[in-house]
Amino acid sequence: MAIRELKVCLLGDTGVGKSSIVCRFVQDHFDHNISPTIGASFLTKTVPCGNELHKFLIWDTAGQERFHSLAPMYYRGSAAAVIVYDITKLDSFQTLKKWVKELKEHGPEDIVVAIAGNKNDLGDIREVPMKEAKEFAESIAAIFIETSARNAVNVEELFQKISKQIPPLENAEVDSNESFKLTRQPAPSTRRCC
Amino acid sequence: MAAEDLPSEFDVVILGTGLAESVVAAACSRVGQRVLHLDRRSHYAAAWASFTFNGLLSWIQQHHEESLPEAAPDWSSLLQEGEELIYLSGSDSGFIANLQVFCYTSEEDEEEEAAPPADTTEEEKSDNKTDEEEVEKQEEKLEEEEQEEKLEEEEKQEKLEEEQKEEPDEVRRRTSNPVALKLIESLNASHLVQSQTDHTQGAEPEEDQPHPSVTPSQPEPRKKISYAQLVKEGRRFNIDLVSKLLYSRGSLVDLLIQSNVSRYAEFKNVTRILTYRHGNVEQVPCSRADVFASRQLSVVEKRKLMRFLTSCMEDTEEHQAYKERPYLEFLRDQNLGENLQHFLLHSIAMATEDTPTEAGLASTRHFLRCLGRYGNTPFLFPLYGLGEIPQCFCRMCAVFGGIYCLRHSVSCLLLDSHTNRCKAVIDSRGQRISCSHFVVEDGFVGADRKKVATPTRLLSRAVLITDSSVLLSDSDQQVSIVTVPPIEAGSPAVKMVELCPSTMTCIPGTYLVHLTCQASGSAHQDLSPVVTKMFNTPDSPEQGERPSVLWCLYFNMADGSGVEVEGHDLPSNVYVCSGPDGDLGHERTIKQAEFIFHKILPDEEFCPPAPNPEDIIYDGESSTATGEEEKQEQEEEQEEKQDEGKQEEKQEEEEQQEEEQDVETHEEEQKEEKQEASE
Repeated sequence: MAIRELKVCLLGDTGVGKSSIVCRFVQDHFDHNISPTIGASFLTKTVPCGNELHKFLIWDTAGQERFHSLAPMYYRGSAAAVIVYDITKLDSFQTLKKWVKELKEHGPEDIVVAIAGNKNDLGDIREVPMKEAKEFAESIAAIFIETSARNAVNVEELFQKISKQIPPLENAEVDSNESFKLTRQPAPSTRRCC
Repeated sequence: MAAEDLPSEFDVVILGTGLAESVVAAACSRVGQRVLHLDRRSHYAAAWASFTFNGLLSWIQQHHEESLPEAAPDWSSLLQEGEELIYLSGSDSGFIANLQVFCYTSEEDEEEEAAPPADTTEEEKSDNKTDEEEVEKQEEKLEEEEQEEKLEEEEKQEKLEEEQKEEPDEVRRRTSNPVALKLIESLNASHLVQSQTDHTQGAEPEEDQPHPSVTPSQPEPRKKISYAQLVKEGRRFNIDLVSKLLYSRGSLVDLLIQSNVSRYAEFKNVTRILTYRHGNVEQVPCSRADVFASRQLSVVEKRKLMRFLTSCMEDTEEHQAYKERPYLEFLRDQNLGENLQHFLLHSIAMATEDTPTEAGLASTRHFLRCLGRYGNTPFLFPLYGLGEIPQCFCRMCAVFGGIYCLRHSVSCLLLDSHTNRCKAVIDSRGQRISCSHFVVEDGFVGADRKKVATPTRLLSRAVLITDSSVLLSDSDQQVSIVTVPPIEAGSPAVKMVELCPSTMTCIPGTYLVHLTCQASGSAHQDLSPVVTKMFNTPDSPEQGERPSVLWCLYFNMADGSGVEVEGHDLPSNVYVCSGPDGDLGHERTIKQAEFIFHKILPDEEFCPPAPNPEDIIYDGESSTATGEEEKQEQEEEQEEKQDEGKQEEKQEEEEQQEEEQDVETHEEEQKEEKQEASE
């Protein structure tokens, strides 16, 4: 089965649970005190989708959203973006539009957008009605789902939905000068060590 | 996204997000220093930035604005006993001068309320200090205005969205361009419609941007891409202020790999080395395969060239004998013939006629060592432009806890009168932030504090958007460097880089061409003779089978090569980073960043590899959350305790796993791997 690497970038206000969602998805683990993304360039998890394997490279904001200083490089080459808000914080839903706009400005044109209302285990102090969020998501043709990273609700489903929306791989144009990542392995001809 | 105060205690505060500053930030953060990284601008990478087409137009506009000088706020009330203030220069725009824009393509857009079709060449007075300050103030004002506009925009947004629901048909009718049409359709589908449709409605402030110069349409069939289309697809451009390449075995590539920052970027090989000679663009054979495949070289020449390249890798007595004499002389005496001599001097050594043999040989060797690591030329270019590289280092810094804040500056330093060290900075909002070290971009240091400067050297730059490649070939996706020797005595040697759309720096159907040379006059004076010779512009003496220039920009920028890290009239724990220099590679900047890092942390390793993504385990024990999050998480924790104990069990199991898979051990493994690889 072919492995396809898909970059997914997370967006949303500080404290809505972006890192918790990744942590739940990748390690099926929830931690109350995670300091977001210390030392993590991105986290990866591979899931099957049809006759492909999707290897998600999930990028966290590394706190650069805190003072509105996300770099354009953060969005480069993303296949999907997950915009997270906190269902118990109306503010975090209201800024969603700003994130959508930012994504439209800097993100790739064909990016799959998913909106995740996190902390749905705290339904009793909910401030954002699900209906309203769902309608907004529909209006921008985005995936919508409410999640709870703490109780492992809908986190897998979120990424499954994304997987399904990723368009199948087109016949890659054979370009003699394709782009590549720099690695420790200098030349393709020498022995492999990694 | 509520405004929040910055934390007030750091180990290292860094002002400016250029390459050197960003590398220092990443390196310090990586070894556990608390880093605050600021930039007064709203974009990353300072003079190393890349812009979308529209972003570039705004940047040009900012440098054209004039405004009244404004006094710096007086922060002396914040002083405590035994402290002195050092004000930083409020201006960072001094590094740009002589901006000139020309548009040679047609406006050609029906719904456009035609901008005046005058050949408006905008000029700016060079090195006028008050001007620079004014521009600076104006920028601040602009930013404020922008923010206000944004607020207004939001209010308007809902209203607009409603309007747009009703209007798409009209918009469609008014748009003739199929690409734009597609764009608008997709925009309508998503209801995110803002600038583009507003543009057609003529109501968006963004679109009040300069149409810096628009000439009446030039009837020529080849010109298909209009100015309107450049603007419309502007976001797909990534136009660098600096034009450089990465040597495949240069210090930047080594650093990217060593630190694992390379994960954040992708690269393309420069596919061709070209040179301009006798009025023609020719390909320079440089790899063994090229040499043998070359049709320009005779068999004798091929043999001579191979012999020369092999022999120059080792230092011989003959080389020593020519040490102080020009490389050109050495080449002449090798009886290589005019062809080879030209290639070797201009394209391989990238030397001038006065370059001494020693330097010429050194750069020839560097060139040859870099061949074949990734491709057939020694050079790489990052996808989306050079501006990505500083951003990648910034991300690395952030990933290790560095705090980022754009549109935020340091207005002065607090000096401890006894120790003569900077103990804190005061930011542009009057907040006192303590630090042990301060790193600053050269542009923010006032001229009065700088080491007596020899007259600032300048680089001349030109950026062209053209409609085809300077040398047609089988593939239209070539990335080329073109060396242009002085076209007449006394004119500068020009380095030209031509980028194809697959580098993600320009739109299909165009090429982005960067020209760079040491300035002797204004950028236009230095570079327009080359442009009019190699491309079709209205100023070209005759229109030939050459690419046409659709749009171009000339400007001068400060050459960073003269700026020293130390020796300024500044506290001993303040380090100055220079801006980009005119070299093709990045050696000086990387060396400088490493030097500053070791000044700050003499015993720490410079940019050790970051752990692999697969090896990261979130470790709740050792990490700390701050502020709001912490509170929130504490609340959650309390609620959690009331929950069933099932999760706790799970958690314990995972913690055990974590102990086994400690990040540090992975780092060690990586080091070993690295050693193996280097062997």
